[in-house]
Amino acid sequence: MSESVKLIGLDFGTTTSIAVVALARLCRTAVGRMELGFQEEVFRSEMVFTPLLPDGRLDLARVESLLNGWLQAGHVHTDELFGGGALLTGLTAQKENAAGLVSLIRRRLGDALIATADDPCLESWLAFMGNCAGLARQHPGLAILNLDIGGGTTNIALGISGQVTRTGCLFLGARHVELVPGSYRIVRLSAHARALFDQVQISKGLGDELTSTEVDVIMSFYLTLLEAVCTGNREPFQNSIASLLEQARFQMPAEVGDIAVTFSGGVGELIYRYLQGQPWPATTHFGDLGIDLAQRIVQAPIWAESLRRIRPESGGRATVYGLLRHATEVSGSSLFLGNADILPLADLPILGNLRGDSPDFQVHDVLRLVRQSSCGGGIQLQLGTHDASVVRDVGQRIARFLQEDAFPARHPLVFLMEENLGKVLGQYVTRWGALPLRVLVIDEIPRRDAQYVRIGLPRNQVVPVSYYGFLPHGDRS
Amino acid sequence: MKELTPLSEIAVPRPGPEQVYRSRFFAQDFAFQGLKRLLGAADCSKAGDRHAGLAASSETEREVARTILSNLTLQHLYDNPLTDADDKVDSVMAVNYDIDHAAFAELAGLTLGEVKNQLLRAGAVEVQRMGQAMTGVMAAALAKLCDVHELIYLARKITRPTRARTLLGTPGTLSSRLQGNHPTDDLRGITFLFYWGLSLGTGDALIGLNPAIDTVDNISSVLHHLDKLRRRTGAPTQICVLAHIKTQLACLERGVPVEVIFQSLGGTDRTNNEFDITVDLLDHAYRVMVEKGPLRDIAEQFMYFETGQGSEYSYGKHNGIDMTTSEALCYGLARRYDPFMVNNVTGFIGPETHLDNFEMVLANLQDHFMGKLLGLPMGMAPCFTLHSNITLEGQQIATELLTAAGANYFMDVGLNTDRMLAYFDTSGHDNQTLREIHGKRLAPEYLEWGLNRGIFTLDAQGTVLRGPRWGDPRQFCESDAEYQELLAATPALCGLENAGPRPANAVARQVRLNQGVGRAAIHAELRIDDLQRIAPFRVITTEASSKEAHLGSPDLGARISAQSIEWLTPENRQVQIVVSDGLSAEAVHHNMNDLLPVLFDGFAGRSFTTGQPIAARYGRVKLAEPLAEKLRCDVVVYLIGERPGGDALASRSLSAYLVYRLGDPDIQKQAARFSGNAGICFEYTVISNIYSGGLPPAEAGGVIVERVSEILSRKAAGNRLMSLVKQG
Repeated sequence: MSESVKLIGLDFGTTTSIAVVALARLCRTAVGRMELGFQEEVFRSEMVFTPLLPDGRLDLARVESLLNGWLQAGHVHTDELFGGGALLTGLTAQKENAAGLVSLIRRRLGDALIATADDPCLESWLAFMGNCAGLARQHPGLAILNLDIGGGTTNIALGISGQVTRTGCLFLGARHVELVPGSYRIVRLSAHARALFDQVQISKGLGDELTSTEVDVIMSFYLTLLEAVCTGNREPFQNSIASLLEQARFQMPAEVGDIAVTFSGGVGELIYRYLQGQPWPATTHFGDLGIDLAQRIVQAPIWAESLRRIRPESGGRATVYGLLRHATEVSGSSLFLGNADILPLADLPILGNLRGDSPDFQVHDVLRLVRQSSCGGGIQLQLGTHDASVVRDVGQRIARFLQEDAFPARHPLVFLMEENLGKVLGQYVTRWGALPLRVLVIDEIPRRDAQYVRIGLPRNQVVPVSYYGFLPHGDRS
Repeated sequence: MKELTPLSEIAVPRPGPEQVYRSRFFAQDFAFQGLKRLLGAADCSKAGDRHAGLAASSETEREVARTILSNLTLQHLYDNPLTDADDKVDSVMAVNYDIDHAAFAELAGLTLGEVKNQLLRAGAVEVQRMGQAMTGVMAAALAKLCDVHELIYLARKITRPTRARTLLGTPGTLSSRLQGNHPTDDLRGITFLFYWGLSLGTGDALIGLNPAIDTVDNISSVLHHLDKLRRRTGAPTQICVLAHIKTQLACLERGVPVEVIFQSLGGTDRTNNEFDITVDLLDHAYRVMVEKGPLRDIAEQFMYFETGQGSEYSYGKHNGIDMTTSEALCYGLARRYDPFMVNNVTGFIGPETHLDNFEMVLANLQDHFMGKLLGLPMGMAPCFTLHSNITLEGQQIATELLTAAGANYFMDVGLNTDRMLAYFDTSGHDNQTLREIHGKRLAPEYLEWGLNRGIFTLDAQGTVLRGPRWGDPRQFCESDAEYQELLAATPALCGLENAGPRPANAVARQVRLNQGVGRAAIHAELRIDDLQRIAPFRVITTEASSKEAHLGSPDLGARISAQSIEWLTPENRQVQIVVSDGLSAEAVHHNMNDLLPVLFDGFAGRSFTTGQPIAARYGRVKLAEPLAEKLRCDVVVYLIGERPGGDALASRSLSAYLVYRLGDPDIQKQAARFSGNAGICFEYTVISNIYSGGLPPAEAGGVIVERVSEILSRKAAGNRLMSLVKQG
């Protein structure tokens, strides 16, 4: 039987913010696995400008008012939320009072969902999933590179068959140069824009009007970097300003082959609207260089084939849809919840990765790290098999080290494993209940290159799991 | 709407002493003790009747019985109602006597042979009137006198149209019920099968789903979903979820769209008690639907019954009545409610009732004839399970003959493979093929919809052809992402490519390969030596002495053989592991290497006392009970192969039945109070779907150990255990 649950996505971007609330169903598949399916949007806010104070900081009072309005309109009660989360993205994440907004959101949404700022690779991953998950299913085996170009950043993610393998992020976006709509008169320049102007010798400041040549120079610089990302060419990043724009380095794998490029974010939305026959908005209609950037991308030969061939799903809302649909994984349903009372778990650090054949010293070291962590920790485990002999061996070895080290009984120790072996691993780790430990084994969860995990309360025999603090390089060793 | 005659006002003759029917033929004497025995012997030989001791022992004996039957008058059958175990007329039999007495009076003096001749000579109107004069027993007796041509020829004379949103059963039409079952009621898989079926032009009779979970919440959820899909696609049809009638009534009270109400029927009160229904309950449901059914203003009928030869026998509640006659009695009961649809699923139960193609095909023709004669809108679902000898070819022969006989509708089970019930039925491809071969059309409202959507087109002569969108389920999806999600949630899809009205060859090959693997798993023998390499199993035998006996007589595998009983003694252990082949020895051998070591570790780790594991060839689930009694253990962990369906990998699927013996009188009282069954002796917790594609065996070991711990600590299993766990 399927159960209805509520999901939320909140995206506070450089330029705009948006909220989406959806109802989804926890469906049991034919092989017994629970999945989130059949999502139905019940509320989508207007795209609003992210509230800022005159000094450029976030206007927390107005944000709180916005948030209250959204939660009310979406009939959201914290305890009914199963998945999703909130992200401060682009330049918003760089604001000095960004942490204040994160705290505010956490107070309102509770501990079960992610609420984070300055997590560019998570943002890249979510934008890819929000924009390309369906495409990836349609084109299994095709490498898709998604460029999510917003106001402040370009979030880059490469995925094959729906699995993101590499992520990265550039401080490259539409709104580093703010303009008076309808003109190229400068209203505000970001620090990155000032550095760029210095580099390309544009000596313009607030109140000055950019010439078309100067706009071309800026656009050309941006396009060179975007093309370099797509071709894996590191040369343009050798100069100091370009390296300054690299928030998280994207490394194109050498053997990737044919790549289709998709776009999302505000600039992506403009591109695909135009390709669907809508006219370009008026000059600098949004008060930034987004339209100019979109026009240059459409004209560039390098992306012509991809733009002709591939139409992604979410455009400007890719990140929020990624949050809504992909930020939360659903665990397997035969978990080992020896101490479910410690759930929900927020901000649990992931302290290591183990395999079925990891040597004893490695197992021991990771367990020691968890022991030393003040709040306990998570260990990602990949056995690569469902053989009883392997899970038994790993479980018994872990139990031996825990017993030898007198692992503290109240210290949270969470295993996150890909295989459907949570119940039995937990039994071996606790010596069939003889070791009094706060051990959880959450199974059927894909491994992620992330630093933290949040685990929500059990519902219909499963728990929601969200990773954050993503690492850029997709290093799966 | 039809007025229901109160049961007390239906006149039924008082049953007299059993008569012996005698005859002498070719210097041989024949005697049949009572009408039930005579009716049984007059039928073609079928497994259920053979097991019940009712079938004739030879062709000569059968023909003698038929000859005797031919010379009995209708009045004789009227005067001798068949009785139950207490020699009483039960309510099903009584309802069968609610006939057109004026029409009966005209026929009463005719012998059955004369009645058959008159039916063959008569026109359609007269045949239908004669049918209204008959009880189920009379229809069954006639069916036993008819050969294949006659069963088809007579049934073809009778049309029985019914109307809800669509008009079914008019001459020249062949409709279908779209049965998009899913093993977990996953609405995404259900949606895909809905869309696929519509694209194949099926579902004009009904969108009818057998649920995996029969709760008011779940049935409401599925019905609302089907209603949404029906509205979204605009398909003119009606919806139904085949839950228990009480669940559907509760849904209707909530305002859920129960457009057509369903119930399975048995031909005796005792069988219907097993189904938890009575004539009074059916009367109530009928009246509620008249007053509150959502289609009450447009439909002329809104009840849907399902029947099938052998259910009375398989429950051991047939009162000594043969399968055909019991089936006809179901029709006499169904007739009371002027149903929208009656669906016959003979072949569903297994080899204990219908062993092979011949038995299944003939039974289907008999059922269709009897139902039509008694005035019912008969849909047919000639079907099979892999543990019988019935094959897809036999099923297809049945559908060709039944289409010739004028069946109102068939099922659409995608690629013949029911994803929840592990059996094989007709498909949307079959229905389209039959329509094209026999020149049949869909219900008119639905056909118009299909033409508008491009699923069908008309040629210059007005012939209905497959249109450009026939067989394309994508047409109903809003996006490719939605389509992919639905597709991924649907199991046992061997491909969507078509060739004419048929699945493409590669698709058909995959379907048949899966069936082949499933049958091989059923017929594989349990390899005791392999088991003993894992653990020191002791071996017992059941009363089933061969694979054939095991498959054909389920009760044999539920009993320990006399030889084994001798050496089994009380051991008073907490846990006893028992392994048996059940219906798939392959399931045992593909799981034990990973499952048993975990169980041994777990039971030792929890310090449970355990008996030496037992292996039992040819065992059924109920074998756990005499074993638990004999060994005096608390819990039997009974690991047994599940019945294979249409997924090759799933033919390796194992179930673990955790059977708790209620040995403590106080606990037994608690269990009796909870279940309402004063005589309850065992409680069951079941963990199913154990195989590499479902719950991996090593993980299943962890789950089983945890459940056994709960059972022992809380002294409860099954629903009572769940209830105690919920209470904390």
